[in-house]
Amino acid sequence: MSQVPSVRERRTVGLLKRLRLSRAVVNVILGLVAVFWLVPTISLLVISLRPESLFGESGWWTVFTAPSQLTWGNYTTIFSQGFAAGGVLDSLTTSLEITIPVTILVALISSLAAYSLVFGSWRGRDWIFLVIVGLMVVPLQVALIPVVQLYREMGNLFGLNPYGTIPGVIIFHVAFGLPFGIFLMRNFLTGIPKDLLEAGRIEGAGEWKIFYSIVLPLALPAIASLAIFQFIWVWNDLLVALVFLGGNVHTPLTIFLYDQTRSLAANYWIVSTGAVVSIFVPLIVFFSFQRYFVRGVLAGAVK
Amino acid sequence: MSSVTLRELTKQYAGNAGLSLDSVSLDVAHGEFICLVGPSGCGKTTALRMIAGLESVTSGEIEIGDRVVNDLAPRDRDIALVFQSYALYPHMTVFGNMSFGLKIRKVPKDEIKAAVTDAARILDLEQYLDRKPAQLSGGQRQRVALGRAIVRNPAAFLMDEPLSNLDAKLRVQTRAEIARLHHRLGATMIYVTHDQVEAMTMADRIAVINLGKLEQVGSPRELYLRPANQFVAGFIGSPSMNFVPMHVESIDGGIRVVSAGGDMDVNLDDVESAMIHRAGVSDVVLGVRPEHLDHRPRSGRGLQLSASVDVIEFLGNDEHVHLSSGSHELVAIVDARTPLTIGDTLTLSASSEAIHLFHPETGVALK
Amino acid sequence: MTSITTEEPNVTSPKASRGRGWWRRNWVSLAFLAPGIIWLLAIVVYPTIATIRFSFFDESATKFVGLHNYASVFSTDEILTAFKNNIIWVLVFPFFVTFIGLMVAVLTERIRWATAFKAIIVMPIVFSTTASALVWRTIFDLDPHIGVVNAIEQTVSDWFSAPGAYPLNSSTGETVASLATFNAKGGPGGTLVSSSAVQPGGTVMMGLTRISSVTLQTLGAKTPVAPHEMAAGIAGLVWNDFSTSQPSNTTSIVSDEHGLPNLRLSLVSSKGSSVASTVTDASGDFSFSHVAPGSYHVQILASNFQIAFVGTFWLGSPSLTPVSSLNQTAQSLLSVPLIDLAMIISYIWIWAGFAMVLIGAGLAALNREVLEAAEIDGANEWQTLRRVTIPMLAPVLTVVFVTMVINVLKVFDIILNMAPGSSQGPATTLALTIYNDGFTGGIHSGLASAVAVILFLLVVPAMLWNLKKIKG
Repeated sequence: MSQVPSVRERRTVGLLKRLRLSRAVVNVILGLVAVFWLVPTISLLVISLRPESLFGESGWWTVFTAPSQLTWGNYTTIFSQGFAAGGVLDSLTTSLEITIPVTILVALISSLAAYSLVFGSWRGRDWIFLVIVGLMVVPLQVALIPVVQLYREMGNLFGLNPYGTIPGVIIFHVAFGLPFGIFLMRNFLTGIPKDLLEAGRIEGAGEWKIFYSIVLPLALPAIASLAIFQFIWVWNDLLVALVFLGGNVHTPLTIFLYDQTRSLAANYWIVSTGAVVSIFVPLIVFFSFQRYFVRGVLAGAVK
Repeated sequence: MSSVTLRELTKQYAGNAGLSLDSVSLDVAHGEFICLVGPSGCGKTTALRMIAGLESVTSGEIEIGDRVVNDLAPRDRDIALVFQSYALYPHMTVFGNMSFGLKIRKVPKDEIKAAVTDAARILDLEQYLDRKPAQLSGGQRQRVALGRAIVRNPAAFLMDEPLSNLDAKLRVQTRAEIARLHHRLGATMIYVTHDQVEAMTMADRIAVINLGKLEQVGSPRELYLRPANQFVAGFIGSPSMNFVPMHVESIDGGIRVVSAGGDMDVNLDDVESAMIHRAGVSDVVLGVRPEHLDHRPRSGRGLQLSASVDVIEFLGNDEHVHLSSGSHELVAIVDARTPLTIGDTLTLSASSEAIHLFHPETGVALK
Repeated sequence: MTSITTEEPNVTSPKASRGRGWWRRNWVSLAFLAPGIIWLLAIVVYPTIATIRFSFFDESATKFVGLHNYASVFSTDEILTAFKNNIIWVLVFPFFVTFIGLMVAVLTERIRWATAFKAIIVMPIVFSTTASALVWRTIFDLDPHIGVVNAIEQTVSDWFSAPGAYPLNSSTGETVASLATFNAKGGPGGTLVSSSAVQPGGTVMMGLTRISSVTLQTLGAKTPVAPHEMAAGIAGLVWNDFSTSQPSNTTSIVSDEHGLPNLRLSLVSSKGSSVASTVTDASGDFSFSHVAPGSYHVQILASNFQIAFVGTFWLGSPSLTPVSSLNQTAQSLLSVPLIDLAMIISYIWIWAGFAMVLIGAGLAALNREVLEAAEIDGANEWQTLRRVTIPMLAPVLTVVFVTMVINVLKVFDIILNMAPGSSQGPATTLALTIYNDGFTGGIHSGLASAVAVILFLLVVPAMLWNLKKIKG
């Protein structure tokens, strides 16, 4: 390579130039795409960090030339209510109160059902699985009205009406989380060799023991994917909460935001601050478990 | 058809301290069938992919015909490559697969049809032209991959372990088919394999590569009879050559080579003595192929050893006998009719021509 | 569950021993399945059947009305609009999101910062659609001090036609002529012309009104000074003829009035041609010197009143298709409201990451050697992409596409949160109609149920496709 003839040298330079140019073009295009994709998130953050008085006076982008605009004021304001009903912290708590039980229940019930469908020895398992897969695409709008009535019936019969309560929301979310959960867990569990379970049975372990000491540990990655997916799904739900919890004093963050936009149409600053609070939790979950989340997305392609 | 020349071809992958290919020079004559052989990870596939243009050249030159092709894109190099996985286009029919390269090059339709029909006839694929790869057997897919290369009528055929995905029986069959194809087309072929049997049976010449370095180039016979070093000696031939470290002793003004326990000794001829003398070593590595060990005492020059039988592998016509001689283990091929039992002590010998001596440190052949 | 009930009689049947054995072997397994199945039957299967039943009953859910609700569906403008919007969503969104996902996934393979890039694109999936919709609502805001899109439009529009020093207020429908109060009247092409003619040596005073005090302050307007006559020249004053202390005085200068600075004027001869031009000073005074004898008028140019940039009402319902000449129903069926476009852009922002991840995984699973074979066969990058990569990705692309079709059939949150009240109607979709009819205001559960059943029927093909994919 040291004594390269000049002709070749020129050709090499030409090739490098071509390569670098096309790579540069790709970098520029994707750079622009990335900027476009970041603008909304950045604007949300900046609006939440600018004083209320500046909103509508000047664009949020002026912050890049005048960074002194930034203030924690909006956060102080919306946190000042503390955990009082209707405040953002109360909504944050409510969101967690809904999301965490749903996530746990869906993960547990799906794992149990999938275990039964994969390792059971009774006939008709595949058939039931197909029905469950069919349920995956059922729009939840289809079930809303009858479930509200079902809840009322429960109130009449047992004096426990879940309508308007957090358990009411949880029950509904779990039901619509199960088809995907069972689908994902079954697909994962079919990859576990049956020999492993049989080894457990020979050792004298019962079904429950096999489930929690052999299958569950092995299925942990799938459970993680399912849990993260379910968590984000429920955290971000608006419709179910609106229908079943609309009148409640404690509402999740999505309803908090929705109410703020509706009642104070121009108060974007409080809405933006609330929105930042609302995306904070899923963002942490996303960045800590990105790999599992992506796996969940891949598995959930049919939802 | 053209010749292919590699000049001090070197490849270093980014982030890798070592060289994947270290200054390999090789001349492939017009119409020659050459095998690049070596253990997996030795750099042979890298070399092939560099010739194809799929890997960049760190330094050195590749010449196809009279052109230096270092900076040419694969499509401009006029080569065809048969991949290990066949790499057929799954969404195209056999005809589509074989004609794709010609279509891209805007060859007239009737010419494409003629070329594909021709290749299909040679490869016995005529009745499968409308099928998709998924509907073909492994052997048929392999032939489609070959056909895709043939229709292009390239300056050189490159093949990357094309038989490794076939079962043993089909492999033997296809091996012969490729050899026939080579004679028929008279094409320059560069064939990569890790299987020395494939290389021995098909190649005009073999280039043995190890750890990125070219160890030896030569005809199969040359490599078998006169390996340049211990690596080549061990790599070519099956079962592998026996190696025993020996000590050089002076006696009566001459020299003698014996093993540590004295169970083996070599009666050197003058040429061998002179060579050891010239190398100035006090230790050598003795090499002898299992098939060259005879079950009889030495007469005249050569190796003699006594060893006890550990394992006998019956193979029909002959037996592979695993032996231990002192602290060394050896394999010998003996006639299956020889009555042997485990624990027997045998006296084996090898003629002077069958003995290889290697430098103890560099592994270079001394004779 | 079906298995449990069908096998139950066996316990007491003649084959009791076999039944008992079956139970003993399988009861744990069935118990594992039971919670999931009961939950699904109660909250998914039964309600779906109940909804189908409701859709044939009246609002009180007691009187069977046959297909009446379905007939109403197709005669209710609101629901027809919803259908139309769903069709727009289905036609536009899945295609673009798949296309963008594909392009981005292919290009990402060539950059060093792919991990960061992918994280940036995927991030919006984890945001609630509610939050995303609110962000995009600000981005598309009409006010260029709030909405980035309109701010950019304004910048671009100002390059081509800068607003004048005294832009008309377009929102009140103000005209140039309406600004004139004293010795001024509307002239040709949006100008103002002095009512009285003037000869060299004379002076002109023109009074305007309704000039905003903010504008005057910004321009540094001073107290007007009456013009002095000049030989062979014409001097004059243009002032804001409105005094807070003497609001009714429209004929003379009052001390708390302001001159109008920076006005571009021209002197027009009796033949109507412009002979000279000038600009007023801070107190609104101007002068033309060396004027040939004759009779002149002073003209205030139209560019002074060039309307300031009017943003695009992205969140409104002006139609992208020409439908204004059609009747009400045809309009609601054929108009493509602008907000649909804004919402689809926002929704692409949310979901492109999903498409990218799926397609990226598909790309990673492709046999690299096939792509290399295409390279060796002489295909350039574009040919390889079009004739080899995309056909090989077809199954993944279909999954993405179908998933996105199902997704937008159910599209809801983004409309509820992104469309301002005035646009909710024109932007409505089936899912939103179900919510509005079923749960807000006067409840029409029969109608809502009928729409829900239709929505369900629309996803059935996707359901069957799913099942086929899993079984095959």
